[in-house]
Amino acid sequence: MAASAAAALMAAALAMIFFYVPTDADQGYSQRIFYFHVPIAITTYVLFAWGAVNAARYLWKRDQSLDLKSYVPMHLGVIFGSLTLATGSIWAQISWGTWWFWGDTQLTTFLIIFLFNCAYFMLRFSVEPGERRATYSAVYALLGVGLIPLSVLGVRFAQRNELIHPITFNSNGANMDGSMFLTFLVALAAILSLAVTMYLVEIRGKRIDDRVRTIRRLVEERA
Amino acid sequence: MSSPERAPAVVCEGLVRRFGERAALDGVSLAVAAGETLVLTGGNGAGKTTLLRVLATVLRPHAGTVSVAGHELPRSARAARPSIGYVGHEPLVYPDLTARENLELYAELHLAPPGSCDEALAMVGLERRARDRTADLSRGMRQRLALARAWLHGPALLLLDEPTAGLDAEGRERLAGMLARHGGAAVVATHEPEWFAGGRELRLEAGRVAG
Amino acid sequence: MRAYRALLRKDLLLELRGRELVPAMLAFVLGALLLVRFGLGGETQAGGTRAATGLLWVAVVFTSMLALVRSFAQEREHGIWDGILSAPIDRAAIWAARSTATLAFLVVTQIVALPLFWLFFLQEGRAPSLWVLAGALLLADLGVAMLGSLLAGLASQVHAREVLLPVLFLPFAVPLVTVAVRVTVDTISPQTSGFGTLEGLGFLALYDTIFGLLGWALFEYVVED
Repeated sequence: MAASAAAALMAAALAMIFFYVPTDADQGYSQRIFYFHVPIAITTYVLFAWGAVNAARYLWKRDQSLDLKSYVPMHLGVIFGSLTLATGSIWAQISWGTWWFWGDTQLTTFLIIFLFNCAYFMLRFSVEPGERRATYSAVYALLGVGLIPLSVLGVRFAQRNELIHPITFNSNGANMDGSMFLTFLVALAAILSLAVTMYLVEIRGKRIDDRVRTIRRLVEERA
Repeated sequence: MSSPERAPAVVCEGLVRRFGERAALDGVSLAVAAGETLVLTGGNGAGKTTLLRVLATVLRPHAGTVSVAGHELPRSARAARPSIGYVGHEPLVYPDLTARENLELYAELHLAPPGSCDEALAMVGLERRARDRTADLSRGMRQRLALARAWLHGPALLLLDEPTAGLDAEGRERLAGMLARHGGAAVVATHEPEWFAGGRELRLEAGRVAG
Repeated sequence: MRAYRALLRKDLLLELRGRELVPAMLAFVLGALLLVRFGLGGETQAGGTRAATGLLWVAVVFTSMLALVRSFAQEREHGIWDGILSAPIDRAAIWAARSTATLAFLVVTQIVALPLFWLFFLQEGRAPSLWVLAGALLLADLGVAMLGSLLAGLASQVHAREVLLPVLFLPFAVPLVTVAVRVTVDTISPQTSGFGTLEGLGFLALYDTIFGLLGWALFEYVVED
């Protein structure tokens, strides 16, 4: 059911992005990549937050399924994070002529979080499956929660007066007109539902994997 | 209901402890009465060390119930610790510290009364080696130091994993003396059950109670 | 509190006896400073000073990795964890003692390294304010020691610990080093506002507070088995 909702939303979003919304006056046709890039970036942060919440719940309840529910969003976060960086780079190349810019706060903050996510994976690969791996992953995910405000503040302090990343939302609300905002919302909903679908699929897949492994082990023990 | 003095020292019901996929303890049920000595036997890998480590609150149980000195684990592990004296496979001492320094550290951690270090050193016969680095002590002396460490805070329950390993004749005498003085319960894992006459024997096999 | 003092005394005593760690940290920092000094050749412009300050901070982070990787090595190698974990103590005390000891080692190393840094790089032209640099170093050392000890406790139980610890620490080092470099380099130029400096040092203090609290709360989970 989630999959069909996602498919429908994606279709609607794509239609709107390519046919409905007017071309941006400043940046031209290629600006449409914004409708992918920003929702994907927001989704990355949402996934990360969801992973951290379940990490805390795991430490509280020690329920193994919560470990899975924490790990999968972090995993998806790496995928969506990579897509954010990729779409961002393409947009940057088209708009500004560079693939990356070290002086920008949002870019650097995102990169730090992305690095954190990758480190989370190294941790997960380094420990054998079991309670200890689940506990360590949860602890590290919670440390990442502390990292977010610190990266935002830190990078902002260190790179004052060097902003070039376009600002999407400022204190007056969204920085776009009606049809653009609508398209943006539809795209956001589409990407989020895509993430939810992938989350559900991956969880179900891992549960089946676990059961197969348990059955295999029981069969071996009997033999 | 039993009064606190006669409450069982250890009660396990269906205790399970896994390492990865392997169940080192696969449903162990036993009880040790106050003042009783339980002698655990069984081959390598039977689960004796794992059981002792769970009782020492070093490992958390994964399933089943365990209570030590009336406190349920893992919830009340912290409350159970003052009553436990644990001797593990390793002597659990820092090689670069002297015997006395090691005991002083543990005395602070266990909130042992002043003078317990001297008493413990005397009990195991290490008074004259107290200022030597543990790395410079022989295997047997390190084992004696391990016994002293467990004795330090006057625990109600002794958990001893192969306490006779590496002990010479004098060391064994000291161990016997310590057990005689100990008024509480003890769980001893050993390959020499005959040495612990007066204890009740229980055999473990593949993580379960045998027989 | 008793447990904290006893464990701290043990950590300091072991280092005094063994004398392995602090000399290694000193050798590393001095080696790094020397290499860069030679690498820069005759460069003494402000640009060189900025680079040198950045380098100092990088050296601080890597030196602390050296210290942290060896944390809990004795407990692990000699199975002493079982002894410590079966004691009726607040396990956060283990973390607090280790953090304090690591902080002490870092400070000792920097007391030696800082004058040399001055000598090598900052004799000519304007230099960063010594007070700000020292203050920032102290705050950064504290943050590194606290977060690092938590991560070291985690990594110590894992096989690939020497590689894993720096990887786990790196994302957290970035905001720390970024701010530290900025706040110290800013003091080179005469127009820097005192407020800006306070803001930077305030950030470092916030970093310490957040990871201090997280370390305190989470260490129990890291050592429990």
